[in-house]
Amino acid sequence: MRKPENLIMMIGALLLLVLLPCLNAYGPPDSALHVSDYTINLWGKYLCYGILAISVNLLWGYTGLLSLGQCLFFSLGGYALGMHLMLKIGKLGQYYQAGNNPLEMPDFMVFMGFPELPAHWVPFHSFGFSVLMVFVVPGVVAFLFGWLAFRSRIKGVYFSILTQALTYAASLMFFQNKFTFGGNNGLTDFKTMLGANLNDADVRRYLYIATVLLLIAVVALVKWLLGTKFGKVQKAIRDSENRVLFSGYATTSFKLFIFVLCALIAGAAGALYVPQVGIINPSEMTTDKSLEAVVWVAVGGRATLLGPVYGAIFVNALKSWATTAYPDYWYIILGGLFVLAVLFAPNGIAGLPQQIKDIAVGWKRRNASSIEPGATPA
Amino acid sequence: MRAAILMKQFALALLMWLGCQNLSLAQGLPDAAVRQQLIEAVLAEGEDQPEKIEALAETGSGMVAAVLAQWRAGNLLVDASPDGAKVLFTREGIDAVRLDTGVKFSPLAPREVETTSKTRKAIKNALDLIAVASPDPELRSAAIGKLGMTRNTDYLPMLEARQVKESDPGVRKALVEAISVMQLADEDDVVCIAAVRKLGEMRSIPSLDLLKGMITSEDESEAAKAEAAKSVALIESYLKKVEAAGTVFRGLSAGSVLLVVALGLAITFGLMGVINMAHGEMMAVGAYTTYMVQNIFGGGLTLSLFGFGAHVPGMNLTGAAYQSYFIWAVPASFLMAALVGIALERGVIRFLYKRPLESLLATWGISLILQQLFRLVFGPNNVQVSSPSYLSGSFVIHDVVLGYNRVFVIGFAIAIVFVTWLLLTKTSLGLFIRAVMQNRMMASCMGVRTERVNMLTFGFGSGLAGLGGAFLSQLGNVGPNLGQSYIVDSFMTVVVGGVGNLIGTICSAIGIGTVDQTLQSVTDPSMGKIITLSTIILFLLLRPGGLFPTRTRSLEG
Amino acid sequence: MIKTNLIKAAATLCVAAATLTSSVHAADTVKVGVLHSLSGTMAISETSLRDVLLFTFDEINKSGGVMGQMIEPVVVDGASNWPLFAEKAKQLLEVDKTAVTFGCWTSVSRKSVLPVYEKNNGLLFYPVQYEGEELSKNIFYTAEAVGQQATPAVDYLLAEGKKKFYLLGSDYVYPQTTNLVLLEYLLSKGVPIANIGGGLSKDKAGKVISAGKYTPFGHTDYQQIVAEIKKFAASGDACVVSTLNGDTNVPFFKEYAAAGLTAEDCPVVSFSISEDEFRGLPADQLVGQLGCWTYFQSIESPANKKFIGDFMSWLKTTEVPGIQKEGRVTCSPMVLSYAGVYLWKAAVEEAKSFDVDKVRKVLESGKISFDGPGGTVTMQKNHHLTKNVYIGETTKDGQFKILKSFDNVYGEPFLKGTFKTSSPAKGETTKKKKKAA
Repeated sequence: MRKPENLIMMIGALLLLVLLPCLNAYGPPDSALHVSDYTINLWGKYLCYGILAISVNLLWGYTGLLSLGQCLFFSLGGYALGMHLMLKIGKLGQYYQAGNNPLEMPDFMVFMGFPELPAHWVPFHSFGFSVLMVFVVPGVVAFLFGWLAFRSRIKGVYFSILTQALTYAASLMFFQNKFTFGGNNGLTDFKTMLGANLNDADVRRYLYIATVLLLIAVVALVKWLLGTKFGKVQKAIRDSENRVLFSGYATTSFKLFIFVLCALIAGAAGALYVPQVGIINPSEMTTDKSLEAVVWVAVGGRATLLGPVYGAIFVNALKSWATTAYPDYWYIILGGLFVLAVLFAPNGIAGLPQQIKDIAVGWKRRNASSIEPGATPA
Repeated sequence: MRAAILMKQFALALLMWLGCQNLSLAQGLPDAAVRQQLIEAVLAEGEDQPEKIEALAETGSGMVAAVLAQWRAGNLLVDASPDGAKVLFTREGIDAVRLDTGVKFSPLAPREVETTSKTRKAIKNALDLIAVASPDPELRSAAIGKLGMTRNTDYLPMLEARQVKESDPGVRKALVEAISVMQLADEDDVVCIAAVRKLGEMRSIPSLDLLKGMITSEDESEAAKAEAAKSVALIESYLKKVEAAGTVFRGLSAGSVLLVVALGLAITFGLMGVINMAHGEMMAVGAYTTYMVQNIFGGGLTLSLFGFGAHVPGMNLTGAAYQSYFIWAVPASFLMAALVGIALERGVIRFLYKRPLESLLATWGISLILQQLFRLVFGPNNVQVSSPSYLSGSFVIHDVVLGYNRVFVIGFAIAIVFVTWLLLTKTSLGLFIRAVMQNRMMASCMGVRTERVNMLTFGFGSGLAGLGGAFLSQLGNVGPNLGQSYIVDSFMTVVVGGVGNLIGTICSAIGIGTVDQTLQSVTDPSMGKIITLSTIILFLLLRPGGLFPTRTRSLEG
Repeated sequence: MIKTNLIKAAATLCVAAATLTSSVHAADTVKVGVLHSLSGTMAISETSLRDVLLFTFDEINKSGGVMGQMIEPVVVDGASNWPLFAEKAKQLLEVDKTAVTFGCWTSVSRKSVLPVYEKNNGLLFYPVQYEGEELSKNIFYTAEAVGQQATPAVDYLLAEGKKKFYLLGSDYVYPQTTNLVLLEYLLSKGVPIANIGGGLSKDKAGKVISAGKYTPFGHTDYQQIVAEIKKFAASGDACVVSTLNGDTNVPFFKEYAAAGLTAEDCPVVSFSISEDEFRGLPADQLVGQLGCWTYFQSIESPANKKFIGDFMSWLKTTEVPGIQKEGRVTCSPMVLSYAGVYLWKAAVEEAKSFDVDKVRKVLESGKISFDGPGGTVTMQKNHHLTKNVYIGETTKDGQFKILKSFDNVYGEPFLKGTFKTSSPAKGETTKKKKKAA
C-alpha cells in the first residue's frame, strides 16, 4: 500500500507543479495543450481548499477532534495578508485619485468615515510583518481557545459545538463596520503584491505554484508527523484518550499542539487563497463553510493522507459544474453526497477502491457458498 | 400614554357601542343632512377633503363614526349606478347598505373607496373627536391623548368642558395630560409653569420631548425652564423604571422563545445524545405546516415539486372560523415534524448511534437537502403567515407594553415544559425513555424495545421542534432559512443548561434571554449578541458541564 | 489499483472541466452573461432577475436581436457565495467570452467581481439599489443611488410634517452609508440632532462615524428596538427610516404591529422592500407603510401595462426549468435589469460594435435613453441613470399606491459630505410667542 501512494504523490506533484504551469505559459493558445489562466486560477483555489481540508483531517481523521472552526483560522490568515494587500492599493484607490484621501487609507475606511488609519493596521504596511501575522493570529487564537478547552477536557461533540459557536461569534464581529475590517464587504479590489500586479497572468501562475509548493510541504509534514512517535500517540488519542492518559502521556499538550499546528496550516492556506480569489469577507468564516470543509474530508476519505485533497477538488469541481447545470438541485446534491459518504463510504474516495474490492470479495464468497444465508458483509 | 390601543379594536368597540347606543349623539342636524355631508366629504377630491372629513366630527353623529370606521377598514364601497351617479354603500355582513338612504340594495360593480395616508389621518382625527364622547373609558382616554398631542388649542375648550363632567379616573388623567400639554404654549407663564409641574407629577412620557425643548428654548422664562428641568428629571427616572420592567418582560419572552426552540433539542441531544443539525429544519417543517393549515382554511395553496404542481383547495373560511386556524395548526405541526423526525431516525440516524460525530455530519447533509426542498416546494421566498387577532395586540400596564404574542409564548413555553415533564415522569413511555437513556443494554435485557423507544423519543423531540416552528411563524419569517437562525442559539441553550437536564435547559433559556435583552438595551443588538455568545463560550470553557452538570462515574460520559 | 482508479478520476475531472470550457460559438449569436444567485440565501431575490433577463432576451430576439445577432444567454449561479461570484465572472469573461454581463445583487458580490471586470475589460450592468461610493469604468449602475431613494423619501416625510426620524438598518455597508448620508441631509434640512433616533457613535475626535440602530443579519428579536421606537414616537410626528434587509423585516413588522404602532402614528419607509419581497411579508400588518423606488408595478402607463402583460404571458409559456409561474409580480430591480439590457442594445447599435470600449464610449455620451415601464431613463456620463422616483404606500394586496413622484432625478454615487448642516429652525417648541412674565 505504501509504494503506490508514494508514486501517486510524485506523479501528482509533478503534474500540478510542472505540467499545468508549463502548459499555461508555453502551451500554444487555442490548442488542446493550452491550459487557460482561468483554469490555473481555479486550481489554485481548489488546492487552497485542499490544504484547508488537510488541516481538518489532521484534527478529525487522526486526532478525533471535529473542529468546526477551521474556516475561522483560514479567514484570519486571509485577513492578515488581505490587510497588507489593502494598504498596498495606496495611490491606486479611487478616493486617492479623486483627491480626498491624502492618507492613502483603504477606500472602505474613507467612506465609513475613519479619520485615520487605525493603529493596529499600521504595521501591516510591512510584508514581512503581515506574513508573520498570517501565522501568529490564528496560532494565538487557537492556542487560547485550545488551552481552555482541552484543560477542561472538552471533547467530542462538545468541542464541535463550541468551535461552531466561536466561529459564529467571530463572523458576527467581522460583520460589524466598526470592527475596522470592512464589515460585510470585507477586503477586496487588491492591486499589487510585492510590487507585482496581481491581475497579471504570470503573477497568478506564481501564486498557483506557491500553493502547490505549500501543499507538497504540508503533505510531507503530515506524512512525516504520522510516522513519528508523536503521530502514534495522536492516533491513540483518537482511539482511546483515557488509555493514553493512563499510560502517562499529557494528552492535553498533544492535542493543543495539533490544534495550533492545524490553525497555522489553515491560516497559511487562507493567506494564499486571498490574493488568488481577490476577496476576503466574513461569509468565509461562517459555520457552514467549516462544515463544507468537513464534507470535503468525509467525501475524500478521512484518516487518509491525500483523501482530503481529492475531496476538496472533487466537491468544488462538482460545485462549479452543478451551480451552472443544476442550480436548483445543488444543495440536494451536496447534502445527499454527504449523507451517502457518511453512511456508506466512511473512507471516502480514497477508500473507495478498497471498499469495492471488499464488496466484490464478499459477493464472490457469498456466491460460492450460497447455501449459508446470514453471511452478509458487515 | 394610552395610545397603545390598536385601531382595529378601536373601530370594533366603537361599532359595538354604536349598536346599543342608538345614535344618542345625533344632536341638531337631521339625519339626511348628515348623510349628505358625509357623502360630500367622501367624494371630495384634493386638498380640502381632510378638512371636510374633520368637519364631520362636529356632527357628533354615531352613524358618521361607524361609516368612517368602515372606511378606514376598507369596507366603504362605491357602485356606479346605471345613470352614472356614484352610489356609496357599506358592507354589513353580506348586505350592502346605501349611505344616502340607509337601506339595503344590491350593487352592480362595486369597488373600494380608496384612502391615502392624508385621508386616513383626517378620518382618524375625526374618529378621535367623536370618540371623546365614547362611553368606553379606554377609547375616551386614547382619543383624548391623541388630540392632546396635536397641540391644536382649538380643541382646548371642548376638552375643558369634558373635564367638568368626566368621572372616570383614567380618563380624567388623560384629560389633565392633554390639557396640560396644550397649556405649555399658554401665553401666561403661571399657567404654563403649573402645566409643566402637572406633567412632571403625572410622569407624562409623551410630553418629555416638549419639556426638554422648553429647557433650551429662548422664549421661556427662567422659572419655567427650572420647572421644566425638574419635571424632565422626574419623567426620566420613571422612564428608566419602565424600561427596566420592559426589559425583564422582554427577557422572559425571549427566553421562552429559546426554550420553545431548544426543548426538542434537549430531548434529542440531551437525552439521546444525537446531534441533530437538522433540528432547525424540523422547526421549519412546523412553520410550513402552520402555513399550509392557514391556507387550507383560507383560499388553498399550490405546491410544486420536480416540475409537478398540486393544488390543494381551500375551505375559504372567514372571520373567527378562519382565525381559529392556528389552534389546528399547533397539533398539525407537532404531528408533521414528528413524522419527518421518525423518518429521519429510521432512515439515517439509527445507523449512527455509536458515532455521534458522524450523526452531526449526516444530519447537516439532511438539513441542506430539506432547505432546498422547502425552496422547491414553497418557492424561494418567505411565505406569508398572518397573525390571528387574538395574537396581535398588546396590554399596556404602566406604560410597559406586553404583546399578546409574547405573553402567549411564555404561557406556551410553560405548557410544553409541563407536558414534557408529565410524559417523562408519569407515563410508561417516559419510563422506557429514561431507562433506555440510562442503560440501553440493561433496558433491552428487561424487554424494552429500545429501537421503538429511540424512534418515539426522536419523534417526540422533533415534534416539539415543530411546535416551536408553529410559534416562530407568529414572531418571525417562515422561509427556507428559518432553522438556520436558531440552530446555534438552541445548541448553546442546551449545552449551557447541562446536557440531559430539563431544569437546566429552562434556567439557561431564561438566563440567556434576559442577558441578551439587557445587553441589547445597553449596547446595540449586534454587540449584545456577540457579548452573549462570547460569555457563553467562556463559561462553557471553564465549566464544561454547564449549569447543572450530569454527575457520572463513567470516564467517557 | 489505487493508481488506475485515481487516473480515471483525474481523467473524468479533466473531461468535466473541458465540457465546461468548450462551448460552440455560432457566428450569428452574441453571448450575454447572467450572473445571479440561484441557490443559497440570496436566491430569494435574485431568481426573479434571472427570469426577467431571460424574458428580455426572448423579447429582443423575437424582434430581430441586437444588430441582427441573436442573444445567447449564459446563465451561471453565484450560489450566494462571494468568491464563487468572482470565479463565475472569470468564467463568463475568460472562457465564455460574453459581450456583456447582467448581474449581482448584493454589494459584496459586486465588489468581488469588480476586479475581474476591470482586469478583463468587461462590461457589467448592476440593477439593485446600493450605497454608491463606487465608480468603475467597467460597471454601469442602473441601480438606485442613495439620492434616488433615501433623500426623496425624506423630502416627502418632511413635507408630510414629520419632525423626528428614527434610523434603523441591517448591520452592513449599504444601511450604514445610507444613514450617514441621511444624517447629513437631515441636519442640512434643519432637523436637530436630538430628533434623529437610533443612536450615534462618534470617534475620538467627536466626528459621527455611524448613525442609527443596526441589527445583525437574520436577527429575529425586535422587541427592544420596537420598545425604543415606541418611546421615540410617543411625542408624535415621528417616522422610521428602515434599511433592514429582506428576512429581518418580518419579525420587525410583526413586533411593530403587536406593539400597537401604526402607519398613521409613525410610518416606516423601507428601501429594501419591493413588490417581490412583499410576497413573504404579512401584508395586513404593513398596510400604509411607505416605500420608495424608481418603479412600482402599479404605475399606470401603457409601457408598464405592456411590460407586465408580456412578462406574465412569457412566464406561462416559457420552458426554462425552475421558473415559478404563479403569483409573480414585477419590481424595481427587475425593471432596472430590463432597462439595462435595452440600454446596452441601444448603445451597441449606436456604436455598431460589441467592443466594450466602443459601447462604453457611446453609453457615456449621455445620449442613450430608454422609455421603460418606470418612465424614461437616461444613462449619464458617470455610469448612473437619471430616472423618476416614486413614493408609494403599501396596500393589502402587496402593491404600492403611488403618493408622489419626482421626475428625472440625477443619479449621484458620491453624496456623502455634500450636504452642509444648517441651524435648526427656531421656535419649534412653542407655537405662540410669549409675553415676558
